[in-house]
Amino acid sequence: MNGGDVSIDLARARLLGPAGLDEAMIGRALGHLAGGGADIADLFFETTSLRTWRLEGGRVTHGGFMMRQGVGARAAHRGHVSFAHSADFRESALNDTVRAVRALARDGHADRHPQGIALNRHAGRHDLYPATDAVLVEDASGWIAVLERIDSLARARDRRIVRIDANVRMQDTTVLVANADGLLAGDVRPMTILSVMVVAESGGRRARGQAGLGRRAGLNGFDTASVDQMVAAAVTMALNNLDAIPAPAGEMPVVLGPGYPGVLFHEAVGHGLEGDHHRKRLSAFDGKLGQRIAAPGVTVVDDGGIAARLGSLGIDDEGTPPDRTVLVDDGVLTGLMQDRLNAGLMNARSTGNGRRQSYAHLPMPRMTNTFLANGQADPADIIASIDHGIYATEFDGGQVDIVTGRFNFTTIEAWLVEKGKLVAPVRGATLIGVGDEALRHVSMIGNDLAFDTGMATCGKQGQTLHVSVGQPTLRIDRMMVGGQAG
Amino acid sequence: MSELLTHSESDLRDAAALAVDLAARRGARARASVHHEGIAKIAVRNGEVETAERSGTQGLGLTVFHDGRQGSASTARFDRAAIERVVEEAMLIVGHVQPDADADLPPAQWLAFSGPAPDLYAESPRSPDVLLDAAQAMDAIASETVASDRRLRAGEQVAVATEGVWALATSDGFCRSTQRSNDARWSVMLAQDEGGSNSAFCQSQERRIDALLPAAVLVERAANRARQALGGRTIESRRCPVLFAPHTAATLVGELAGALTGNAQYRKMSFLPDPLGRVVAASHLDLSEDPFEPLGLASGGFDSEGIAGSRRAILRHGVVQGLFLSTFSGRKLGMPSTGNADGFYNLRLTSSAASGDWQAMLRMLGSGLVVTEFQGGKTDPASGNWTQAIKGLWVEDGCVVHAVTDVTLASNLPAMLNGIRAVGLDVERLGAIRTGSILIDDMQLGGRR
Repeated sequence: MNGGDVSIDLARARLLGPAGLDEAMIGRALGHLAGGGADIADLFFETTSLRTWRLEGGRVTHGGFMMRQGVGARAAHRGHVSFAHSADFRESALNDTVRAVRALARDGHADRHPQGIALNRHAGRHDLYPATDAVLVEDASGWIAVLERIDSLARARDRRIVRIDANVRMQDTTVLVANADGLLAGDVRPMTILSVMVVAESGGRRARGQAGLGRRAGLNGFDTASVDQMVAAAVTMALNNLDAIPAPAGEMPVVLGPGYPGVLFHEAVGHGLEGDHHRKRLSAFDGKLGQRIAAPGVTVVDDGGIAARLGSLGIDDEGTPPDRTVLVDDGVLTGLMQDRLNAGLMNARSTGNGRRQSYAHLPMPRMTNTFLANGQADPADIIASIDHGIYATEFDGGQVDIVTGRFNFTTIEAWLVEKGKLVAPVRGATLIGVGDEALRHVSMIGNDLAFDTGMATCGKQGQTLHVSVGQPTLRIDRMMVGGQAG
Repeated sequence: MSELLTHSESDLRDAAALAVDLAARRGARARASVHHEGIAKIAVRNGEVETAERSGTQGLGLTVFHDGRQGSASTARFDRAAIERVVEEAMLIVGHVQPDADADLPPAQWLAFSGPAPDLYAESPRSPDVLLDAAQAMDAIASETVASDRRLRAGEQVAVATEGVWALATSDGFCRSTQRSNDARWSVMLAQDEGGSNSAFCQSQERRIDALLPAAVLVERAANRARQALGGRTIESRRCPVLFAPHTAATLVGELAGALTGNAQYRKMSFLPDPLGRVVAASHLDLSEDPFEPLGLASGGFDSEGIAGSRRAILRHGVVQGLFLSTFSGRKLGMPSTGNADGFYNLRLTSSAASGDWQAMLRMLGSGLVVTEFQGGKTDPASGNWTQAIKGLWVEDGCVVHAVTDVTLASNLPAMLNGIRAVGLDVERLGAIRTGSILIDDMQLGGRR
């Protein structure tokens, strides 16, 4: 497959044709947007359609459809960004949007490119995901059957399951980026998220379990075995939590399981290595490039080019193909993630991390697929090494304070470990740490690297994006655990 | 018309009515909601404009009801072709889903065809130039503040203006619209000493510019919060009383209100099952709702089904008096809508217990923890299990001793609500919620061993 070759043609057909736009009109708009000398001037066209089906109470009774489109216009003069967007991008509306940016920029100079900017198409070849339409209404019956099967599977697994909600959300986003350097690039990004939430009830106690699958594919990308595994995971989590004991509180060793717990590195390392935080000297890692910030063996990578992962991009939202950026190499801080604006101001180059939630948002440096590379240890030996601590396998998101480097995340599935054995599941507990301090306490890294199941999202300055996170099993010698037990 | 808006209320009413009409021609009953907002935002840092944004959002959402089935579709365009597509898509969904006896429009007699509609819009200057002046004024104050304290650095100073219009039409002939405004300012300040750095922010949000906190107050509060957190350190794990500062206390009130929504109740995702008439919080607590407060941030004459809310008690003496119900969630629970299809309106937590201002609350705390900021954590809505990483202050004999960081608090919400000893007179508003600081008798703090 090649998502790139067809993407630019599809993007032009879906975005420009219906609006009556051609490349000459876009070139003229860009010429005016760049005005008397913007360092960056770009237009980001987007059309997104989204379809949902929801099962509750054993039946699929809700469905939804959404379509949106628009253009974001940006001009940057030595770091001062002016931005406007519009849901209408027929030529007159596009020109109004560009004029709004010029007014905000107070750029009164004559246009440097009064004839407009000649655009060169950039196919952006990639084999990361197919340029498929995930939102086909023809798949409705198929999806409804999947949701009904999830319901019956969950009910059959345990009679204590009293509530099952299952959802599927299919999204098809097509983008076209044009900039004053003459770039015209497009991408078609299919995405489907299937999720289930169950409630278990017994003896007056209630507990929740959840699981999901995210793919850059349509219905045919979801095999029966994966769906069954997802349901089993949600039910098991709810039943474990029903019997959970209060988590201990205080500093102790923690073992994090493979996959989604890699959110640790997303929070503890990744956000602090986004270019904008460094340019503004806000990051706790400011000035530490080239220094050891983690134990030997800790290698953290951001790679937007891993096939089928939800953080992958054929091009980023500024038209740059994604890089593989080694952020931490064997414990030494080696790389930052950049968009065009911050790279330009820091005398660096974009690493293809310029991302935005939609045309109505400004791009900024964001992570793609961020993971800790494999180590040597056997995961069983890592758990066996714990005398008293926590083994956490699933989290419900996390946060970081960029300035202090303090991060936290909350378990939704975890166990108390005593003398190397899992003793009992524990109720949700918040784990906290400080970026480089936690990294220095990484003492064992497993050989079982895995990624999340496709449900990871990242929020920054009000913008939410899909990303991917991953890690092998690992041990951190000292972390603060916030449970209800003293 | 406002300079931020490109569509009028009548444009939106026409679009909503057209969508309902087109659905009716397909034999469906329908409800259409149309919104449009114009936004301007200027961020200034160190004397330079960092970002200047001008944006417009809009959307039309349609829900159709046909043969006991429902389907929803939305678009960002208001032209006839887009609306026809939305009707088509909604009807396609109706053709696939199973019936649900509870999915239908509310009875027409429930609708607020007329009736009080609180002011949600105030004329105020909101052009980008006005915002630029406001952000630059804050930036100038921030620079002066920094000059007087070497530990401080100025972050972004931001001014935002939003104006919006919203229209709702239904097959029962309901067609009303409202105009809204919102002004916000915020200041980010950083503090640094040999022990590390902190950032803090302070925001003011109102429906009219002249009600906003003065720029100097915003900057000073942000600077004080950043300074106050310097020297923060962890403390040993313990059980202790905890005082939630007003802007963190509002989060607890939000958790309580969230558990009383119809959706949480019928989906069994509430830690307060079957709560009507039951004691769920300390007996000195009252919680009231007011949809009609003029220029209230969460005021409204009717919800997105066209049903008006009411001024009422949600909690009286700790006992639940009412839930927040839509027509759908109400039917699932065998009750009528309370006009809360969009959640709760303005809420106010009050207490009959002994209370006082911030200093008095510190004295009531005695020795314990003050929570000034949540850094992250989760509530399990089904069990009420509550866990948070927090920043705060350690207090002894009513006096602040040092800043605290790297600690967690954990409990479960039913115990926390019943353990509230006092609510301060230091009332602040955070969005829909007004509350003073909240003092809870005993919580588990996780820190050093």
